[in-house]
Parts: sequence; structure tokens; C-alpha cells
Amino acid sequence: MSTNGDRRIGALGELPQDIAPARDLWPGIAAAIAAGPAGAAASPDAGAGDAGDGEGGGARAARRRWFVPESPAWALAAAVSCVAVGVWLGRASVGTVPVAAATSAMPAADAARAQLASYAPGARFERTRDALLADLGERLAQLPPETRARVEASLADVQRARADIQAALGRDPGNALLQEMLLNSYQDEMRVLTAVRETWVTGEEIGA
Amino acid sequence: MQKETGLADGGTAGARMTDVAGIEAALVARARRGDTRAFERLYREHAGRVHGLCLRMTRDPQLAEDYTQETFIRAWRALGRFEARSRMSTWLHRIAVNVILERRRRRELPLEFVEDAAEYDTDNDVLDTPVEEAELEALIGSLPPGARDVLTLCGIYGYAHSEAAGMLGIAEGTCKAQLHRARALLRARLADGEKS
Repeated sequence: MSTNGDRRIGALGELPQDIAPARDLWPGIAAAIAAGPAGAAASPDAGAGDAGDGEGGGARAARRRWFVPESPAWALAAAVSCVAVGVWLGRASVGTVPVAAATSAMPAADAARAQLASYAPGARFERTRDALLADLGERLAQLPPETRARVEASLADVQRARADIQAALGRDPGNALLQEMLLNSYQDEMRVLTAVRETWVTGEEIGA
Repeated sequence: MQKETGLADGGTAGARMTDVAGIEAALVARARRGDTRAFERLYREHAGRVHGLCLRMTRDPQLAEDYTQETFIRAWRALGRFEARSRMSTWLHRIAVNVILERRRRRELPLEFVEDAAEYDTDNDVLDTPVEEAELEALIGSLPPGARDVLTLCGIYGYAHSEAAGMLGIAEGTCKAQLHRARALLRARLADGEKS
């Protein structure tokens, strides 16, 4: 027996497939793809290694894997370098402060600055990071030269990526994608620092 | 009927291409060579469909916009792996579903996939009354995420169970069970609404 409800359920296919976003998303996309090296899309394999391009995507995505930052190649390079270190420490919160709703009532410039500032790491995270950085040199000195070089390159990549993200956020403080990438950069750095510390404590090889 | 498309004046200068797929292929080729204007044209053509999927799967306009952006950014990076025989819209939807599922896991939102695929409907309902879109959308939004995902992909966007299951990384039987579950929940909620 077909009820009115059945008929309406059958109408699902008549719902509009296209729903335009409320704002133009292209400027954010353009900024992100421009931040990568020229011709990032020109080479079929460039930067596409873990792009989640949908080829068997669901099954592949179902596996736990290292996070790859959103798009620009410098962020990808940072993540790849971290992968080279070969650690998986999970995604710990960096203790940042979310954007306060109150910023909506501020003048635009103040709100932008407040929004950017609100994505700086929290004090507890800063203390932990400072502690890890304090004797990093000593710990690195005890690593095999090849491992040490990889760790140093990873940290340099992450820090360079963060500087780029912060610069981009300065131009577009409300960009949620950039905000998340900034948080990710702190987390990526923390993973590397933590891995070095654990190696120092346990004496195990990084990535073992 | 061919959809009105912003691609109509695209393609190689001087060439009058009436085939949307051909124009799209030309734009993809240009974008692969680093032409961001060509990629913008692809974005303009497909943004609504990608955003519609993201909005329905997240029920959050801000997240839907973020995921739509990320979908196109990933698409740009992965253009070299886009196969011409595939439909661009389907490829973008696969990327979008990947983005949504990854973010959902990172946010540790529970997925409620039903593993029992023993019974499911295969009947094909036909609409003969006007669609009350807003109410139906709201009801879809009230469904558990797993059921909502399958209903969105199969019910609204017309993907076959095998395609939807592949995108979501679930078994085809699970996909069918989820669709059955979604429809049963919708039917019950519609019945409740008619009574009250």
C-alpha cells in the first residue's frame, strides 16, 4: 500500500542536486592552489600521492593514515617529511582557543586580528613545546646522522610551512582552511618533537 | 535535455564545442597544465553539486563550504589522475565524500552503519504530488549519519549501491541496509508528522 509518506520518500530524486554555497569559495581555493609551486597540477603525480582523489577512496580512507595537510605543496612537503620520520603519535589537541563569537561585533580589522590571535597555541601547549625544544639539540646529537638530518629537515619544513600559513592568514584571517592548516602545523611539529624525545628516552630508533 | 552550462564558451579558441564533456575535457587538460582560469571554470560548473552533497552529508553550512573548498583543492592536486572516461562530477563527489569521512573521523563523530543487510526494499516509489522540499530536507537532516549518507548518495544523487558503497568504504549489502533503514525512518517520521 502506497501512502503519502511513501510518495514523498520517492520524491527524493526530485530534490535539487545543486545547492550553491552562500559565498563565492573560489578566492580561497585560488589562494590555496597558488600557494603551491608553479604547475603543481601539471605533473600527473605531483602532490597527488595522497590526495584522496576518490579512486577506491572510501575503502582507502577507512584505513588510519598519516594526515596530509590540505593542499599547498609546501604543506604536503612538511607532512611527507614527517612521514619520513615514520612516527604516528595520534592527533593530540594543541589547546588552541576557538574563534569567539564576540568577534562578529568588532570592527573588521580588530575582528581579523582577534581571529588570527585566537588560533595561536594555548599557554600550556607553548610550555610543552618550549620544554621539548630546550634540549632538542642535545637529543639530536645522539641520533644517527641520517636520522638527525631527517628530523631537522622535517622541523624546518613544518616551521617554513607555518610561516607561510601565518602570512596567508594575515591576508585572509577568516579562512577556516588556513586556520586548520595552522593548527595542523603545530601538531605536526609536536609529533616530531615528541618522537625525538621518546627516542631519547627509550633508545629505540625513530619509526621503529 | 542538456543542462545549461557555464562551459558553453570555453575550450580552445576558435573551436565551437557543443559537447559539454568535450569542453570539460579541454578545461581539464588546460588545468593540468597549470591554467587556474580553466580550473575556475570547472569549479563554477560543479561547485553547486559538490556543495549540495557536502551540505546534505554534514548539515552544517560552514562545514559544507569548507569541505567544498577542500574538495576542489584536492581535485587540483590530483587532476593528473583524473581519467577522461570518468565523469568529472562523480570524481569530485568521490573526493568530497573522502574529505567528509576523513574529517568526520577526526572529529570522532560516530557512524551508525548497519551491518545486517538481510532485508531491504527494492521497490521504486513514484512521486505524483508536489515535493515539500524543506520538510523533506529537514527530515533527511534528522537521520543518523550513516543512513543519511547513503540516502543522499543513492536517493538524491542517484548513485548505484555499488558506487555509493565504494565511496563510503562500506559493503554493498550494508549500503542497501542503510538505505532501507533511512527510508523506514523517513516513512515513520512522515507518518508521525501527518498524525500531529
